[in-house]
Amino acid sequence: MEEAKKDAGGESGKSVKVLEGKYLTFALGNEEYGVGILNVREIIGLMEITAVPHTQPHVKGVINLRGRVIPVLDLRLKFGMEIQEYDERTCIIVVEIEGSSGSIQVGMLVDSVSEVLNVAKDEIEPPPAFGTHLHADYILGMAKVKGDVKILLDADRVVGEGVIRELEEN
Amino acid sequence: MAETKTLAEILDEMAIKILAIEPGDLSVVGELITLVEELCGSPDTAGLPFLLPMGKAFNDVLGKIIMGDMDDSADSFNKLGECIGNMQEVARKGEKVADTVPNQFQATMKAMGQDVSLVAGDTASQEDEVAPVAEESVSEPAAAAPPASADAGAIPDFLKDTDLLGGFIEEAFEHLESIEVNILDLEQSPDDKEIINNIFRPFHTIKGVSGFLNLMDINKLAHATENLLDDVRNDKREMDADVIDVVLEVGDFLRTMVENIKEVLENGPDCYQKFDISAHISKVVGVQGGDAPVVEAPPAEPAAAVPKEEPPATAAQAAVAPPEPVPASPAPATPAPAAAGKVKMPAPGKPDKPKAGGGAPAVQKKITATIKVDIEKLDNLVNAVGELVIMQVMVKQNPLVSSISDPKLTRDLAQLERITTELQKTAMAMRMVPIRQTFQKMTRLVRDLSKKSGKRVDLIMHGEETEIDRNMVESIYDPLVHMIRNSVDHGVQTPDVREAAGKHAKGKVVLSAYQKGSAIVIEIEDDGSGLNTEKIRTKGIERGLISQDDQLTDHEINNLIFLPGFSTADKITDVSGRGVGMDVVKKGVEKLRGKVEVISTPGVGSQFVIKLPLTLAIIDGIVVRVGEERYIIPTIAIQESIKPNRDHYNTVHGQGETLMVRGTLIPIIRLYEVFGVDTTQTDPCESIVVVIESEWGKRALMVDELLGKQEVVIKSLGGLMKDVKGVAGGTILGDGRVGLILDLAGLVQATGT
Repeated sequence: MEEAKKDAGGESGKSVKVLEGKYLTFALGNEEYGVGILNVREIIGLMEITAVPHTQPHVKGVINLRGRVIPVLDLRLKFGMEIQEYDERTCIIVVEIEGSSGSIQVGMLVDSVSEVLNVAKDEIEPPPAFGTHLHADYILGMAKVKGDVKILLDADRVVGEGVIRELEEN
Repeated sequence: MAETKTLAEILDEMAIKILAIEPGDLSVVGELITLVEELCGSPDTAGLPFLLPMGKAFNDVLGKIIMGDMDDSADSFNKLGECIGNMQEVARKGEKVADTVPNQFQATMKAMGQDVSLVAGDTASQEDEVAPVAEESVSEPAAAAPPASADAGAIPDFLKDTDLLGGFIEEAFEHLESIEVNILDLEQSPDDKEIINNIFRPFHTIKGVSGFLNLMDINKLAHATENLLDDVRNDKREMDADVIDVVLEVGDFLRTMVENIKEVLENGPDCYQKFDISAHISKVVGVQGGDAPVVEAPPAEPAAAVPKEEPPATAAQAAVAPPEPVPASPAPATPAPAAAGKVKMPAPGKPDKPKAGGGAPAVQKKITATIKVDIEKLDNLVNAVGELVIMQVMVKQNPLVSSISDPKLTRDLAQLERITTELQKTAMAMRMVPIRQTFQKMTRLVRDLSKKSGKRVDLIMHGEETEIDRNMVESIYDPLVHMIRNSVDHGVQTPDVREAAGKHAKGKVVLSAYQKGSAIVIEIEDDGSGLNTEKIRTKGIERGLISQDDQLTDHEINNLIFLPGFSTADKITDVSGRGVGMDVVKKGVEKLRGKVEVISTPGVGSQFVIKLPLTLAIIDGIVVRVGEERYIIPTIAIQESIKPNRDHYNTVHGQGETLMVRGTLIPIIRLYEVFGVDTTQTDPCESIVVVIESEWGKRALMVDELLGKQEVVIKSLGGLMKDVKGVAGGTILGDGRVGLILDLAGLVQATGT
């Protein structure tokens, strides 16, 4: 995930980043996703979440992470997948992104965490332009590793978007 | 300077002298001083990095040797020899000189007890270095000025020294502030030499550092003013109102210039503004020349001629033995406690208030040792301590732990609690700064206002040592300014009106601060005419704020002035009454979770009382339950909580529901509805309602249950959620879960009731 001048994916705009590197992979429904390991602060089990009013549905609320209050998003809801009961495999992946005023930590609720994967450059393909329920902006690329396809997510985009539901909308 | 030698020649001569010197041979030291002064004064020196401060430091050490403050042993001279070597290196290589050279010089000087700052990022010690050279350096710009003025027209090369400049800006603001405070003191006691010194020193430091940074305009202006003050100090010129005015003016102008530099640093060189200082300089020189008796030639042409009038006597004297700059002054120019990003703290365990600036004249108070700490580090500490307190509570409340009946554990837990509480108190205390600085700014304001309005007003201050949360200092400034303006403009009458009313022609505004329980109270009291209750009432009816037949006490009517758009000023003056009224004050104070009210006695005066919480980090709240969720309502806004009687419950068709509480109809906010929480209690008469007061009026919040009163540490919900309506922040409750703190104003606004 280092910065480089070379255009890796040939995709417009965002692919100034070299995508090869280590990813933490996790499951959501039947799909496997990956998020750059450098974004990941820690993985914690499910804990009690305090709901915050006037936020978008996928924002589950806030948790107490050792004295820090951080927001938690449900990635299933964020990606428009059906709701599933949380179970003992449900995890919160705490990622750190650069906000406008310093770094922000955000928790992502996922079905289960799989492994840390080393993705080589030639295993990565640009995101498909069609057919996913995912906003193409969220995807950095598709990694084909040992026959499986992992969707590499752009953590900044996924969690960095506004979470406040505009009051005008109600 | 009889003949012009090159720098290399001067340095070579110095090197030879230092080699030949014998301990005890003070005449050679004197010759060395002459040489080093020549070096400092040489136009070439200004063009080279480091050399000027090096020379000054060198000069200082020589001065100490002459005064007997330092051993004139062979060892010292060896070290000085090394220093000369470094200076030669700098003179030879100019810009390209290796970093090690100034570093070496610095280290050697340090070994001799002379602090000198040659590298970026350490303006503090730079200041220490400049201050002691007070006298002799005055003569220096005489030679340094001409080449400097040549390049003063160009945009200074700002980006080269951003670190140094950043430090300078901060220091300069501090100095300017202390200048202002002191000059106002001086107005009260014009004969106090110590105060003049307190003004002289910051000017001198600004001059020195700005010169070093090649900020020639600032340098020249500060220098001219310094000369003027020097004359005053040496009884060459009377201290009078002209001097005070011109110094204040220069102070303001310098501030503008420094602000511009700050802007340049932040937004790039495009913002650079060229200031015309000649008018100010000639004014300073004019005031100085007013009755300056013996100086070479009365300065006729401005700007260029400024640095000339250094009395030759002082220069000659300095050549032999640089006198101590300020007699009996404690520590070189302690700047006023910083306002910008840094905070001064009393040393732990010593509750003595830190001495503010060069402030307090006459009485020499004991100076507590203080250190400057990055505000971020301090905040981190406070946060960590907050977490510690929460963890301690969580451990203690753990059912498993509390079921253990071991006396030792109980004792230890109690001890742990005591220590954490103590730690929290100390951490909080470190964020507290005396309100003095904020108050002192008001002195200037009152002075300007009373001049402008032709009124005579005394500002009397009490309790300046009262401490408030550092984070509040800035936010309380605007409301205070507004109220002081209000008191001077509307409160205190003109002298003739006052005399007609049998009062002293000179009005009084009393500004006081004190702590009352867990609140800080700030009062602004004037002895003017008091509020015109009848006029306010009429206006209130006019504006539709109250109705004709509302039964209101005078106190209630008077407090209408805090409502938006209320201004009773008959004429719009420059000072206040531009339509923005006291609602600005109220909003500002409420943002700090405080309260403001006015108490007025017709004919005697009015008094504004601001109540602020001790700190912004902790809030006193009532924990309430709504369904499964718990919320914290700030106690300060709560009026009462009641179980409503069905008779008092009304629904207004299409308008919502209200509750009659003590004769007033209060709109009900169903918290579970607003926040989308599931609850079984939907009947207001089965629930509890909490009557709260927000800037939008009273509301009755419907909750399921009151859980208790608690002091909670406010936590931000993080960047992504900071704008959630109705929620001011979060906190960690005793069981480790996050509880949300309600923002009542936002809540009321969001519900639109």
